[in-house]
Amino acid sequence: MKKAPKVNEVNEFLEIASDFEDPLEVIRESLSNSYDAEASEIEITIRSRPQGSDIIIEDDGNGMNERDLESFFDLGNSQKTDSIGYKGHGTKIFYKSDRIVVNTAKNGVNRRAVMDNPWEKLNRQELPEYELTKADVRDENQGTRIKITNFRSGEGFDPESLTYNKIHHYLKWKTIAGSTAHFFEDNPREMDIRVDLGEEIDDTRDELVTTSRLEFPDEQLEPSDDEFPAERMCKHYEPREIEVEYDGGMTTVQIVGMVGGKAARNELPTHGRHSVQFGVWFAKDHIKVEQINETISHDNEFIHFFFIVNCQDLELSANRETIRNKSNPVFRAVRDEVEFYMSKVTQDPWFKNYLEIRREGKLKRRARTQESSLQDRRKSVTERERFEPSNRAEVLLAVERASQQQAGFSLQVEDYQPDADIQAIVRHQGKLRNAAIHHQLTEHFKNESPLEHIDLIIYWEQGDPTKLNEVERTGYIGGEIEIDHDSGSITYQRDGDSSYIELLSLTDVFKPKTKAIADD
Amino acid sequence: MSQVTRRFDFEVDAVAGDARTGTLRIGSQELATPNLFPVLNFYGGGTERSVFGGGIHRTIKEFMIGADRIGGGDYSEYFDCTMTSVASLTDYNITHERYQSYLDTPIKERELFEPYNGTLFVDSGGFKFLDGGDIDGSDFEVDIDQEKIYEIQKKMGADIILNLDHPIAPDDSHEQRMEKAEKTALNIAEFLDLSSDFDGARYLTLHGYNYSMMDAFLEKITSIVDTREIHEAFDGVALGSLVPKKDNRELLIQAVTDCQEVLQDWGFDDMPLHVLGISSRAVPLLAALGVDSFDASSYLHNAINGKYYKSMMESVPISEVSFENCDCPVCSSELHRQRMRGDAEYQKDIYGAVAVHNLIIQKQELATIRDRIRAEGTAPLREYIESTVARDKQTRQVAHKVVNQSLGGYFQ
Repeated sequence: MKKAPKVNEVNEFLEIASDFEDPLEVIRESLSNSYDAEASEIEITIRSRPQGSDIIIEDDGNGMNERDLESFFDLGNSQKTDSIGYKGHGTKIFYKSDRIVVNTAKNGVNRRAVMDNPWEKLNRQELPEYELTKADVRDENQGTRIKITNFRSGEGFDPESLTYNKIHHYLKWKTIAGSTAHFFEDNPREMDIRVDLGEEIDDTRDELVTTSRLEFPDEQLEPSDDEFPAERMCKHYEPREIEVEYDGGMTTVQIVGMVGGKAARNELPTHGRHSVQFGVWFAKDHIKVEQINETISHDNEFIHFFFIVNCQDLELSANRETIRNKSNPVFRAVRDEVEFYMSKVTQDPWFKNYLEIRREGKLKRRARTQESSLQDRRKSVTERERFEPSNRAEVLLAVERASQQQAGFSLQVEDYQPDADIQAIVRHQGKLRNAAIHHQLTEHFKNESPLEHIDLIIYWEQGDPTKLNEVERTGYIGGEIEIDHDSGSITYQRDGDSSYIELLSLTDVFKPKTKAIADD
Repeated sequence: MSQVTRRFDFEVDAVAGDARTGTLRIGSQELATPNLFPVLNFYGGGTERSVFGGGIHRTIKEFMIGADRIGGGDYSEYFDCTMTSVASLTDYNITHERYQSYLDTPIKERELFEPYNGTLFVDSGGFKFLDGGDIDGSDFEVDIDQEKIYEIQKKMGADIILNLDHPIAPDDSHEQRMEKAEKTALNIAEFLDLSSDFDGARYLTLHGYNYSMMDAFLEKITSIVDTREIHEAFDGVALGSLVPKKDNRELLIQAVTDCQEVLQDWGFDDMPLHVLGISSRAVPLLAALGVDSFDASSYLHNAINGKYYKSMMESVPISEVSFENCDCPVCSSELHRQRMRGDAEYQKDIYGAVAVHNLIIQKQELATIRDRIRAEGTAPLREYIESTVARDKQTRQVAHKVVNQSLGGYFQ
């Protein structure tokens, strides 16, 4: 006996509608439907209501006949073959509401379909029905008006967070309104899109008007002469169609894009976190889906690039958020081809020059910072009364100066290794001695440098005396230590061995004041 | 300097970006450029009966002359030029008598090599050589001098010769490089004196990895030999010392680009440029940069390692080849297909056939490159590079660099 698996239709509707949470997705679906119906104008109105939001979508497209309406309400019965969103899942999001009213005029007939409480009924495990009525209209009257009452947004979603700004960026990034198809068509079809938000949602303006195409910021091939010369530079990379052969067939990719600095990129509407929006995007129906930034070699930051790679052989997940056929040869072949194309872009002399200008700008800014820091340093050199080391290397300079300037002081640095524990070997009164060099004596103990092989510690100043007292009180690396400031020495005893280390404070040597002379 | 009837001429007949095709004329011979001189050992320790021996070289020479041992046939078009080195005489243990007999008749005047009429380039050979009667084959590394080298080049019947040079090594200090340049310069002075009545082409060796090194090299040379004399006496320039850097594509491209610039600044840019010891994947790129000739032994070294060229870019193990997709005369012959499948008495007959196939592939690609240069505009050569070298991930970036630098780029 053969048995066919059963489908629970109600659950199926619930499931699909639940895949969509955001009323913005209602807009996305409506725009695609209107575009497929060859509309030239579409108006979307959203009002915030206590239960949810009312959404009205009105277009001047071809309208729907009865079969079209069936597809609109049915599941898995899409008429679509070559248009956007072939699965026909999109409109099922409308079921998350209290009422759906569709008025659609085609060939002299207006059809009105009303579905009451679809969401409530689905949740009661009841399949909602719609009532269809017909009336004659003039042939010229064409188009569709859909009203969705009390649309249930996802948990925690507040329709009032929908601002014009947010909708605009969403439209341009995620919907047909941000299509790059126009780059590849001789007579691209245009659609004017108006969005009207209730004042309770956003009262900053009356409406949003945009088109069904994504434009790049204007080209600016030359640098500007301000502090950030490459910031507004921008180059367009003309649309290219490339045939790609893969194991089992051929496909076409359409690539268009731009490279630009931060200011140029800021002119693009983006969606979500701005900094991660750039790079290379895979698109289907010329609507961006997923990034493939790995096609840009690692020596380049993806952020400078914005490329859209359209391929109709990409298969998308039901909610259009990801690509489904990534393990197929077609995906891999297309990705390799994009990688090849991007390697040409990254080697483009203009791009190299743009990077060079950025680098030069950065170096110039650094030079300016250096200049002001040097001014500060020179000022402090001029103002101070005597040479004052502030690091180990300057302590060494002090040793050299003392040898030259102070009668009776004879000490030469013969060897200096800044990274060693015992940094220098010095010649003192004819003998070679191992010397640790510090700006402050306390540093030696802070670093836990062993004392066993040191003959001499040369430092500029003593540092915090309480720290030295603590070292004496608690001992040092398992031994007893005694610091005798009067005789300038340290005695260290450990495991029965005793070390004697001489201390040389250069502050004492430099007691006579000598004013530093600046060379200007 | 005595007056010489110059038999050498180099004429450029088409350009595409920096790339050019031309004709090298030496006497009655004409050679289309850019071209590849396959490295071949004419004297490999054997006798006339064994085509002067030399393992795989023997089989290659049998192809060159269409010998019965390889089933006859005319392969001469793939041997329109060859490169051999004076130093190759030291690669085999030979007696002094044999050494002298090798040099008693010029290569192309020997009856055995009668079918060979290509342009013969004889490299100066570096530092090792056999000397006098003291040849026992075990240790004959003796410094030789410019005079001896030139004598051998002439006796071999060379069409193109180089002065005895001292190639630089990647780790050389500036002082070491200058010392080598000085030794080379002294050789050049002697070479020009000795070879003033030479009726083939004389190429000047140039060493360095970048503009400044080559410029310093030429400074040193011209401090010993007058610039004008160099310009008048030499017919071409051979850029050397790049073999240790052959896998560093970036550096190779840089060196050749800089070399062109140096030659231009020194007024030597009307001479043909040969790059010593570099071939295969780099060839389309170097040709695009304007290099006129190359030489390499990679065709036979790869064959010895069992590699069969599918194209200039791709080789496969010989054991995996069916030979049906290649219509070259080697792969079209049942005898050679059999041999390449391993059915041969000697290894040299397996690998010799593979080597000649590899050479033919390279020669065919060069013919394609010449056609692309001759075609209208830079697009044909650019498309060739795009579909070959640029498809290889290791060479992609330098390929784009060359396209941008020499062929107008992709986005102009």
